[in-house]
Amino acid sequence: MNLRSETAKGTALSAPATLYVGLLVAAPLIILIAYSLWTQTYVDLDRTPTLANYREALTDPLVRHLMIRSILISAAVTVVTVALAYPIAYFIALKAKKKTLWLLLITIPFWSSYLLRVFAWKLILGFNGVMNSALLALGLIDEPLTFLLYNEFAVVLTLAHAWAPFAILPIFVSIQKIDPSLLEAATDLGSNKLESFLRVTLPLTTQGIIAACLIIFIPTVGDYVTPSLVGGSDGKMIANLIQVQFGAANNWPLGATLSLLAMLSVGFVAIVFVIGASTLGRRIR
Amino acid sequence: MTEKNIIEMTGVQKRFGSFQAVSDLTLSLREGEFFSLLGPSGCGKTTALRMIAGFQEPTEGKVVIDGQDMDGIAANKRPTNMVFQSYAIFPHLDVGDNVAYGLRNRGIARAEINRQVSEALEMVELGGLERRGANELSGGQRQRVALARALVMRPKVLLLDEPLSALDKKLREQMQFEMRHLQQSLGITFVMVTHDQYEAMTMSDRIGVMFEGRLVQVDAPATLYASPSNREVASFIGEMNFMPGAVKEETDTSLTVESPGFGTMTIPRNPNVETPGKSVLLGIRPEQLEIAKEQPPEYDATVEGVVRDVAFYGENVHYHVRVDGVDSRIAISVPNYFHTVDHGPGDKVWLGVQGESVIDLGQQSDKPI
Repeated sequence: MNLRSETAKGTALSAPATLYVGLLVAAPLIILIAYSLWTQTYVDLDRTPTLANYREALTDPLVRHLMIRSILISAAVTVVTVALAYPIAYFIALKAKKKTLWLLLITIPFWSSYLLRVFAWKLILGFNGVMNSALLALGLIDEPLTFLLYNEFAVVLTLAHAWAPFAILPIFVSIQKIDPSLLEAATDLGSNKLESFLRVTLPLTTQGIIAACLIIFIPTVGDYVTPSLVGGSDGKMIANLIQVQFGAANNWPLGATLSLLAMLSVGFVAIVFVIGASTLGRRIR
Repeated sequence: MTEKNIIEMTGVQKRFGSFQAVSDLTLSLREGEFFSLLGPSGCGKTTALRMIAGFQEPTEGKVVIDGQDMDGIAANKRPTNMVFQSYAIFPHLDVGDNVAYGLRNRGIARAEINRQVSEALEMVELGGLERRGANELSGGQRQRVALARALVMRPKVLLLDEPLSALDKKLREQMQFEMRHLQQSLGITFVMVTHDQYEAMTMSDRIGVMFEGRLVQVDAPATLYASPSNREVASFIGEMNFMPGAVKEETDTSLTVESPGFGTMTIPRNPNVETPGKSVLLGIRPEQLEIAKEQPPEYDATVEGVVRDVAFYGENVHYHVRVDGVDSRIAISVPNYFHTVDHGPGDKVWLGVQGESVIDLGQQSDKPI
């Protein structure tokens, strides 16, 4: 086959994806950038390019506060999810006999809608919810606990549950790929189970951990459903503010600016994290 | 080599469910020897090695290393180190860190670790390659790193699981000599598992042959080749022509036998087999047979046959000859002295053999030859 027809074939094969990405990612992004440079004048748009929106967003303490909180909550969700997922992935990859069954069980939450799962947590954590009723019935508390719902904790808990499979699967794959003789070699060279884990398994699964972290961290920063349903006023995140700009406040240019700033912040944190984690992984000897 | 036994295995058994991987293995290894466990795949040799290493616990029996009972002693506490079949080089570490891995578990000072690592790499001729990445190594280099990583631990016994099977033929032959020299200069006991008889013979002081979980014979390579204890060993080690013989006369050191084709000859008794009784299984190595156009004089027994196949191996020429009265074809191997192949398929030839080179394989079993 000559090179030209190969190129043609490649172009043809990637055309649908290119078209799809072009229409649904690149074009909206360009529109978003354009909007962020315009100004909302009540019902009309002033299309004179200006950086006023950026100035407003960057100087507004509320934006900064929400942005930092979003990143911190997302980081907490990521840490909690990965920390809970790793042992499960480890168990399935190395100890479990019926791997397929376990993997199937892990995907079961996906069989119901995301919204329903968030509402389920609301039912569990609520004032008259499952948790409070059970603790009351057992006589462990005298009145319902109110710190369970409508705060950061509820957001972290709900999202950690929702993301679990996304963390388990990449980590499972990276553990599964480890040649068992490497662990035997570590043992043979005098490592106990913990040392083998820290010096061989962990560094060899860094890529899986990084992938899991990114898969969770990036969409969590932009999540607004969970914070609005279980977050209360303490659990509001940047995406809730963006939603307001595009909705009730009817200030699309500012909403576009906030979206772009959120994107940049997430990108920055993610890049720093990937570099940091890979370096750390390589330093384990 | 000393007289002290470094490893003593007594009545060791290993069962996986209903499968008997190793049955009643009793074996003593001397300090400083190069010992090979040889057998076809699935014969239990690797399981035996893994029980010494501590990766598998014997179902029954005792493993003693350097006077210490290994029962309940985990693999990471044993005075053994292993070279794995896949080499198991840590892919996230460079050569130096791979070799230093075990030393770091011992809490040795960094400078001392570096010194020992570079010394170990010198020893396997990889001096100065400390910072080479694990993925930038050739097969032969990986093998050397695996050797250095195990030897730097100064184990009492080095275990090698098919260490050369992943290398190409030329490199394998070179490594055989290198590993032998290394073993002799270090004086460490090497225990190697292999299915390759030539590998076992070129490297080992002694070889233990295993079949179906049983240790069948333990001897020096030359003894194993000259006096195999049964038909299985005889056919696994080198090539062998088998034929039945009827015992006419027997003394303490010799048997006079009559075989179809070759007629009557007197052969030495094999100390490793049971008293033959009336019938005996005879073995003749292909290189012990003479092949000639005329009846060769000065041979104890001769027979006429027809060449069926000729195979040219370079250093040797192999003939397969059909002889009346002998069921299977007789293989003959002739050194290629003069770059000539003297006989072709269909030629009438004479075969000759000396009685003292015929091997007595004991009482003939009912198994077809």
